Amino acid sequence: MSQNYFNTLSLREQLAELKKCRFMHMSEFSDGVAALKGKKMVVIGCGAQGLNQGLNLRDSGLDVSYTLRAAAIEEKRQSWKNATENGFTVGTYEELIPTADVVLNLTPDKQHTHVVNTVMPLMKQGACLSYSHGFNIVEEGMQVRDDLTVIMVAPKCPGSEVRAEYVRGFGVPTLIAVHEDNDPKGEGLALAKAYAVGTGGHKAGVLMSSFIAEVKSDLMGEQTILCGMLQTGSLLCFDKMIAEGVDAGYASKLIQYGWETVTEALKYGGVTNMMDRLSNPAKIRAFDLAEEMKAIMRPLYHKHQDDIMTGHFSKTMMADWANDDKNLLGWRADTAETAFEKTPAGDMEISEQEYFDNGILMVAMVKAGVELAFETMTDAGIIADSAYYESLHETPLIANTIARKKLYEMNATISDTAEYGCYLYNHACVPLLGDFMTGIKSDVIGRGLDVEDMGVDNSRLIEVNAAIRSHPVEAIGAELRGYMSDMKKIV
Amino acid sequence: MPTSLQNLTVNFDERFDLKNIDWRLESGQHWLISGPNGAGKSALAAVLTGAGKVASGEISGLPQHVGWVSFEAQAELIAAELKKDDADIMDVISEGTPVREILAQESRDLVLIDELVAKFELGYLLDRAFRKLSTGETRKVMLIRALSNQPDLLVLDEPFEGLDVKTHAMLHDYLSALSPNVQIVMVLNRLDECPDFVTDVAYVEQGKLLHQVKRTDQAALAELHQLLHLKTTDLEIPPTDPTAENKLPPLDPAQPLVRLTGAAIKYDDTVIFEGLDWTIEPGEHWQLSGPNGSGKTGLLSLITGDHPQCYVNDIFVFGFQRGSGESIWQIKQYIGYVSTALQWEHRVSVSVRNVIISGFYDSIGLYHKPSETEKAIAVQWLDLLGMTARADEPFNKLSYGDQRLLLIARAMVKHPPLLILDEPCLGLDEMNRQLVLALIEKICASSGTAVLYVNHHPHDHIKGIEHFLSL
Repeated sequence: MSQNYFNTLSLREQLAELKKCRFMHMSEFSDGVAALKGKKMVVIGCGAQGLNQGLNLRDSGLDVSYTLRAAAIEEKRQSWKNATENGFTVGTYEELIPTADVVLNLTPDKQHTHVVNTVMPLMKQGACLSYSHGFNIVEEGMQVRDDLTVIMVAPKCPGSEVRAEYVRGFGVPTLIAVHEDNDPKGEGLALAKAYAVGTGGHKAGVLMSSFIAEVKSDLMGEQTILCGMLQTGSLLCFDKMIAEGVDAGYASKLIQYGWETVTEALKYGGVTNMMDRLSNPAKIRAFDLAEEMKAIMRPLYHKHQDDIMTGHFSKTMMADWANDDKNLLGWRADTAETAFEKTPAGDMEISEQEYFDNGILMVAMVKAGVELAFETMTDAGIIADSAYYESLHETPLIANTIARKKLYEMNATISDTAEYGCYLYNHACVPLLGDFMTGIKSDVIGRGLDVEDMGVDNSRLIEVNAAIRSHPVEAIGAELRGYMSDMKKIV
Repeated sequence: MPTSLQNLTVNFDERFDLKNIDWRLESGQHWLISGPNGAGKSALAAVLTGAGKVASGEISGLPQHVGWVSFEAQAELIAAELKKDDADIMDVISEGTPVREILAQESRDLVLIDELVAKFELGYLLDRAFRKLSTGETRKVMLIRALSNQPDLLVLDEPFEGLDVKTHAMLHDYLSALSPNVQIVMVLNRLDECPDFVTDVAYVEQGKLLHQVKRTDQAALAELHQLLHLKTTDLEIPPTDPTAENKLPPLDPAQPLVRLTGAAIKYDDTVIFEGLDWTIEPGEHWQLSGPNGSGKTGLLSLITGDHPQCYVNDIFVFGFQRGSGESIWQIKQYIGYVSTALQWEHRVSVSVRNVIISGFYDSIGLYHKPSETEKAIAVQWLDLLGMTARADEPFNKLSYGDQRLLLIARAMVKHPPLLILDEPCLGLDEMNRQLVLALIEKICASSGTAVLYVNHHPHDHIKGIEHFLSL
């Protein structure tokens, strides 16, 4: 097995790479897709990312075709159907890779080593190899031929949204990076920018980062706050409501759509705005609950970040890959059997505000998870901008997949890497919050506060508001949302 | 007993018929008749006074005493007076009938005449000849004549027209006081002058009674208001943005807008259509029809570039051979597009104003800071649609019909060479259907845009469309 690339770097180099993250200005994309115009782009893999990115690139006037394994073509598998029904040229690696100026590797992480080793000898001299995720380079230490340029273009949304937003005339926030060990002609950045324009990403905001910063922050975010916290929170909150005698259909609905509703407030105005949607007494309760949970969960967040930094996480996961995903598939099956997953949402109406009023604990969990993930990442040397995107910014996206498909499908939709980390987190966090949950009643989850008087103590409220607003994730969030608003939806 | 018109067709003269009117005036109801000019509002009111020649159908329950005030009644009376003059064989100058006599002719209550004369402050002209009065004075005389007849039904065609402000207010109050005892039907051009006692509104167009709306149904009343506005406004389709940023690159007028050669859409083994040749020249209006599933929307999306198989077809659009390195936005800039699916796509929170402006950018939602010119053009469109006051409301809070109107405005804002309307009336009720058609007709009449209109009924077509394609 190759050596973990990150671990080959000196501490100073590691910190320098982790710190890379810069919000790019719209004017940096004035060349449009010119750097890719007339070049032959060949996509490997035709799943959700592969297909949808390809559709966007082609609609931007670029030359896109797909290469699949010979077996996938012969058996007319789904990936073959996806590509041909959409009018793309499809060919084997041998047919298409040698003609490609840019090879877009959009296969799942776990296939990267095999795929890249297979296509690399076929690639023409001086071509470009592009990734959507840096795992293969950073964690598996893939060594790419010296003449090849290696870039990353990572839309921060599921493939279906990458397409839907493009069709609307917009795009999704996108992270780009150049692997500096593989930029022989110094054209990596120009290619990555043109690629981001081709998928529409430049309209929604592009972050210039590094392979390392992307991997280490992405892994941390997805396994803790994004997927892990929402999974753990869903299971704990549901079971608590049932124990408290809340109607099962109502409980299921409150959770399935509640994450989406409360994190929508997060998207618009950060933790501050999400908390401000609560009444004053509820806000103070949520604040106290979040503080309590942060104290309990902090060591777990530290462990996740440490395991990601040392490579322990990826090593463990890769061992499971080698073991036919035994753990992953077992845990996925367990998720399908949980009470929350098996209880369909009721058909009662829940108003937008009611999701806040009756979901105080959920709001507290989002606050605790976002802040802890952000604090842990920045403590580890990841720059605040990256930490913001990989925690707060992406939470509504995952919440949205839960609203559509609940946990089992959420896990099937996200990458295997995210899913694996999510289960690790969940298995540790559920017992960790056990004692805490015994003290929870339906006033903070399911029924809303039972208070006659909405009054609160002035000085306590001021203290709580100040604490919420002065958290560092709020400062960077306000700044980045400010940049984005120039190019973002004008609402 | 209610007055009832059943499937009534009435001929007025060679030029005008009221057709198949079904209308019931219950006691206690007061009606306002609205509609565009020349629609037949006055004719419908006049039917209640026995005017016109019944060609078919039935009218029943008309009360014995009907008071009628209208310009026609006024003109008739003046004509009669003039005729008297002509008929005078004696070589003396006739003074004509004095007002006093004109008033007494039909009155059933002479005391009431005196009261009304005092109210209208007409005492000074009681002895003058009727035909020498000014228009406003004549109108007041007609009103007093009708009111003093103690009618059971009062038919007032534009009663406030020609009255000064003070008299207008007085008459309004008088009618309000009268309304508990006398049924009133009035024709008004302006819905916003509708007195409070009116309980029901009728809408007439092209000799047909198209809508009957309860005064209490605010939503329907607002739609009626808007329909009337669109039908009567002098406003034209606003110009497009002349600034360079939004100016479309010019097309070669010698080339067709669209040319499909042997076009096909196929999935797996299913062929939706194949071997289709179709050319749309600049300014040609087309109607595309065919049953559900025949591929109408698929065909359109080959043109708009929304169908991925546009890359495996021989398609020439707006100067580009598809698949030659053009971007989809270079195609879309020449197209305005409206469909039900597009309406569903508008789930994001966008203001009414910004939906219109987004048409300049071919985006769903607005992702650019709009220029002052763009904002000004949006305002002009809102004026045309009668939606000025709603500019800042969220799009998704509007009624379905209003959303459709806005999407048409969005599609037209840049005056595209091709406007595609994919079943633009789908899912709309009759009133909103007419609103949409009124807007489309305005567009067809006053712009150089080629309209491609799609529906699944080949017979249901729009004025001005002369080319047809059936799938």
